[in-house]
This record gives sequence, structure tokens and C-alpha cells, in this order.
Amino acid sequence: MASDTQRSDVASNANRLPSWLDGSLLTLVVGSSLVVLCGTLVQVSFGAFSMSIGQAWSAVFDPVVWSNPYVLLKFFFGEGIAETLATTFGLSVASVDLTKETLIVWNIRLPRVVVGALVGMNLAVSGAIFQAVTRNELASPYILGVSSGAGLAILLTLVVFSGFASFLPIFAALGGTVAFVIVYAIAWKNGTSPVRLVLAGVIVSTVFSSLQTAMYLLASDIGVVQSAIAWTTGSLTGTDWEQVRMILPWTLFVTVPLSIVASRQLNVLLLGEKTAKALGMSVERVRFALSGVAILAASAAISVAGIVGFVGLIVPHVVRNIVGSDYKRLVIGCLFAGPALMVAADVGARLALNPTQIPVGIVTGLVGGPYFLYLMRKKQQLGEL
Amino acid sequence: MTGDSIQRSEDAAQVNAERTDVERDDETPSETPCTHLRGEDLAIGYPTTEQPVVECERVDIPAGEVTALVGPNGSGKSTLLKAMAKQLDPDRGHVLLDGAAIRDLGTKELARRLGLLSQENEAPGSLTVEDLVYHGRYPHRSFFESVNDEDEQAVERALELAGVTHLRDEEVGNLSGGQKQLAWIAMVLAQDTDVLLLDEPTTYLDLHHQLRVMEVIRTLNSERDVTVAVVLHDIGQAARFADNLIAMKDGELYDWGPPRKVVSDELLRDVFRVDADVDADHPTGPHISPHRALDD
Repeated sequence: MASDTQRSDVASNANRLPSWLDGSLLTLVVGSSLVVLCGTLVQVSFGAFSMSIGQAWSAVFDPVVWSNPYVLLKFFFGEGIAETLATTFGLSVASVDLTKETLIVWNIRLPRVVVGALVGMNLAVSGAIFQAVTRNELASPYILGVSSGAGLAILLTLVVFSGFASFLPIFAALGGTVAFVIVYAIAWKNGTSPVRLVLAGVIVSTVFSSLQTAMYLLASDIGVVQSAIAWTTGSLTGTDWEQVRMILPWTLFVTVPLSIVASRQLNVLLLGEKTAKALGMSVERVRFALSGVAILAASAAISVAGIVGFVGLIVPHVVRNIVGSDYKRLVIGCLFAGPALMVAADVGARLALNPTQIPVGIVTGLVGGPYFLYLMRKKQQLGEL
Repeated sequence: MTGDSIQRSEDAAQVNAERTDVERDDETPSETPCTHLRGEDLAIGYPTTEQPVVECERVDIPAGEVTALVGPNGSGKSTLLKAMAKQLDPDRGHVLLDGAAIRDLGTKELARRLGLLSQENEAPGSLTVEDLVYHGRYPHRSFFESVNDEDEQAVERALELAGVTHLRDEEVGNLSGGQKQLAWIAMVLAQDTDVLLLDEPTTYLDLHHQLRVMEVIRTLNSERDVTVAVVLHDIGQAARFADNLIAMKDGELYDWGPPRKVVSDELLRDVFRVDADVDADHPTGPHISPHRALDD
């Protein structure tokens, strides 16, 4: 008996160290990375300016770009910061001549892929967090009124306050946050509960959507309406390094680290409110803080791509089916699978009806709907986590 | 009734205190003293109810003993237990853990000293037993802290004590109801608390697992001096396994004390509304032979 226990001790220790990184998660990570890679390959190769795949890849790995840190810095940080950084580190700031192919790939095609990947990452993690907070598999980043709040803010900006159009991303994110706070306030009654949060989300969404529709009627210019539709369905058309600069810091310093750190809290929340409380968790505080992280992630995505639906709903689902419900693995899986879906969907959005580009949100919706139908048919129970 | 009750409770507490003192002196003199839980002047209600559901002047969960709360459905056992675990804030009165009001203790601090297993528990089906039990270490770990040796030892002890070591890699969703309950018990055991409150841990289990659960509780109490309060449906089981019974009726304490004293024909008639014979001298505790349900 004693030796038995000891043996199982040793075995468990050996299993424990890399226990969260097992075959299924590894497969998912590698597979997703491959999808992103292929998506990137396609995106940089095709477009209005045609070049061969070989040309496209030699442009991506153009030694002139990679050997000049200043050029890279300029892409990622913008001219001002890049120059400061370059001078502090004593790098050359001399301008270099880039070939036409390199310019097109680096200035137009590559940033769009990078933005898409970051949007996917944020939405997937946001959805994963909301599903744990509301203990509902059908929750999405937009469940707590975020999309309707952001949508209303977008329309208000475009239609009423058109002078502030350049602040649109910030207003969109703010609108989402405000709606979330209203939802929380409505749901609060001696504390909240997942069901009340979802119901309050439905209430706020309904009211805000009506207001949105009313706004459309006020718009006088068809261009404004088109722009509003692009924002409210989610689109990556015309994204640039500027968008990368907007979303990258949030992703690196908020979404990724906080979601990984929070995975243990999320796991305990999944045991139910009573158990979490009995284990000494301040459930309300944790739930609010986690929702805050998810809102920030969703807002970061909205601010560059508008309201892209279904990504935050499907990706956590797919990942959960593959790696199980442990949130450490789920979050890491989402960080890879989110970009994979988004980059792949954007290939379709950009190239399917070439030269017309459709909003990427339409593609994710077209993929997401049938996937849910499949899930509904296949799984007996869908809903509660 | 009330004055008499208080007197009786003080007597019982006195007796209990003496008894545990003696036991401790005999067995393990260096052991840290057991923890004692007491409710004073309690009125407990839910946000949705106007009147308190439970009212009692004083309730004692004596240190180092197993106390069973028994009573018919709706008598307030679970409500009282929830208030004792700070899951419900009483409208009036307070709960004292070794003399300190639990209201003033931090949530994690309380969870390190007092564990609670609720009646119904849900876990994601793909969670393994071992991972579930590791969650019991939550109150012992700070936000950024990872698993340390102490956590691992506590988990191993808990798995062994609950007898689920062989199930450690099984997914909770694939276990039988009884195994699942033992896994959850292992989780609260890993919490390593001085006081353990269990809400109907044997309901819905087959007889084998009911006895397994009760044996785990007894072992825990005798080996680690954990103070246990357990809500039980089966008064026969309560009489057999508990050191003390607290019988509740309509949100009030009806009687309390050692099973041989509390369990009587009268109790079964008044509280459970059952016509029964009680053999108080049975070797394994008072033995109940129920005959029929009494009309109102």
C-alpha cells in the first residue's frame, strides 16, 4: 500500500509538470499556426497588384526590411516613436529604398493580416472569459450589451457627431463599456447572477438596437450608411499599421497576460458560485474584474475592426471540444485558434468576390451559423457549462 | 421551553467540553486545540422572504466532535448550515468561530479554517478528480502563487482519506454519483480546515457510498480532530455516526445532545411525524423501527 502510494506520487509529479501542455493542445497550437501561416501566404500573394507567390514571400522576408531595425520600428511604433527609439539605441535612421513588391506587401497586405490575427486573439479570449463568468456556453464577447453599445456609439459618431469621426474607434470601445456598466447595474440586486446578467444584456441590447436602427433613418448620405454597416458587421478593409499600433499594446499587456493569470480564477468559477464562495473567492469582485478584462479585449478588437460576430462564440467552443474545459489550456488554445479563424475568414472576405471586398463579419457569420447548427445536432446538451 | 433549552444547551456544551478535554489529554496532549463554532441569537432569512426562516437563541457545534443536524424537509437545517458558513448573512445575531465573529474574517481566511460542501455540486465533466481536489487549495494560494509541496501533500492526503486515489486521473463526468461525492469530499478535505460543514452529503447515494462517506467523516474527525457539522436526512444514520444531534423543527431547535438522549419515540412523533419504536440501548446507538406516518 505504502509503496503503491509512493509510486503514484512519483507518477503524478512526472505528469504534473507539463500536464497542461499535452498532445491535444500542442496539435491545436501547431495546426492554428499553420492556418495563420497559409492565410498570410495567400493574403500577401493575391490582390489588385498581382505577384507570384515567390515574389510575395521574398517581399515578406526582404533582407532590406529585416536588416534595418528602424524600418521595422517604424511599422510597429509609427515614425515618431521609432525615431526616438532608434536614436536612443544608436540605430541608423537613414531612409532605405524598398522595392514596389516589398512596399505593397509591408504597407498594405501584411498589416491587415496582423490586425486580423490580433482581433481574433482578443475576441476569442474575451468570449472564453464571458462563457466562464456567465457559466453559459452560448455567451459571447457581445452578450453583455457590448456590441449594441459599441454599435450605437459608432452610429452616433458617424451620423450626429461626424466631426469626431477620427475618434470613432475610441467611441466604439467606450460605448461598449458603458453598455456593460448599465447591464451590470440592471443585473445587480444583492449581487448578480449569470442568468440575470444575460437577461440584463438582452434588455440593453434590445433598447440600443432600436436606437441604432433609428439612427440609420437619420443618416442622409449613403456613404455614411455604408461606413456604418462596415463598422457594425466588422471589417478589416483598409486596416493599416496604425491599427496594429492601436491594438497591439492592449493585446500584449492586457489580454494575454491577464487572461493567463486569471485562468485559475476562471476554473474555480466553473465549480459554481457556492463552491467558489466556500473556497474563499470574493465571487462578485472576481466576476466584475474578469468581465472588465473581457470588455477591454472586446473593445480593443472593436476599435480596429468593428463588431465582428461569432469569432468569440465559436473559437472557445472549438477549443473546448479539443482541449477540454481547463481554462489554462483553453485560454492558450484561444490565443492561437482565434487568429487562425480570423485570418482564414479574412482571406474569404478579401478574395472571394475579388475585386469587391466584403466585411469579414459576414464571412464569420456564414461560417459560424452552420457550425452551431452542427453543434446543436451533435450535442445533447448545449448551454450550461 | 426556551429557558430550559438554553440550560440544556449549556449543560451539553459543558459535558462536551469536558469530554473533549479528557480525550485530548489522553491521546495527543501537544495537539492544537480543536475549533468550536457557535451561533448566538440568530435570525436567518433569504432576501426573498420577509420573515426569518430560522430563529435560534444559541447553537453549538462542539469542538472536535461530529454534530448531525436532523429534521424534516423545510425545517431549516441547510439554512442554518449556510449561515454558519457565512454563505448567508443572518438578519440578526452572529456566528463565532473560536469566539471571533466570522463576519469579520476575510473570505480566504475563513476558507482556510472552515470548509463547506454544498448539497449539489457541478463541475465541468472533463475535469479530472485530481484537478478538482487541487481546487481545494484555492484559499491557501495567493493570486500569483503556484502549487507548492504543501499543496501536493494536502492533495495526496485528501485523495487517500476519501479513498479516491485510484480515481485521480478519471474525469469527474465519468464517475458514478457516489464516486463523484467522494471526489468532492476530497476537495474540501484538501482545503485542510479545522471545521467542516457538509450539507446532506449522503442524499441520493447508494447504501455503500453512504457508509463510505460517513466513515470518511468519522476518520477525519478521529485522526485530525476536525470539528464536523453535517446535515443528514436519515436520522438512523445520524444516530449511529454522530456524537451530537441537533433536531430542528419549523426553523427552531427542538432538542440537542448525544443521540441516546435525543432520539426518542417522542422526537420521532413530534418532529418527524412518524410512529416509531426506539431501542435506545442498541449497541451501535439508538435503533429506530418506524411503523407508519402520522396524520397532521
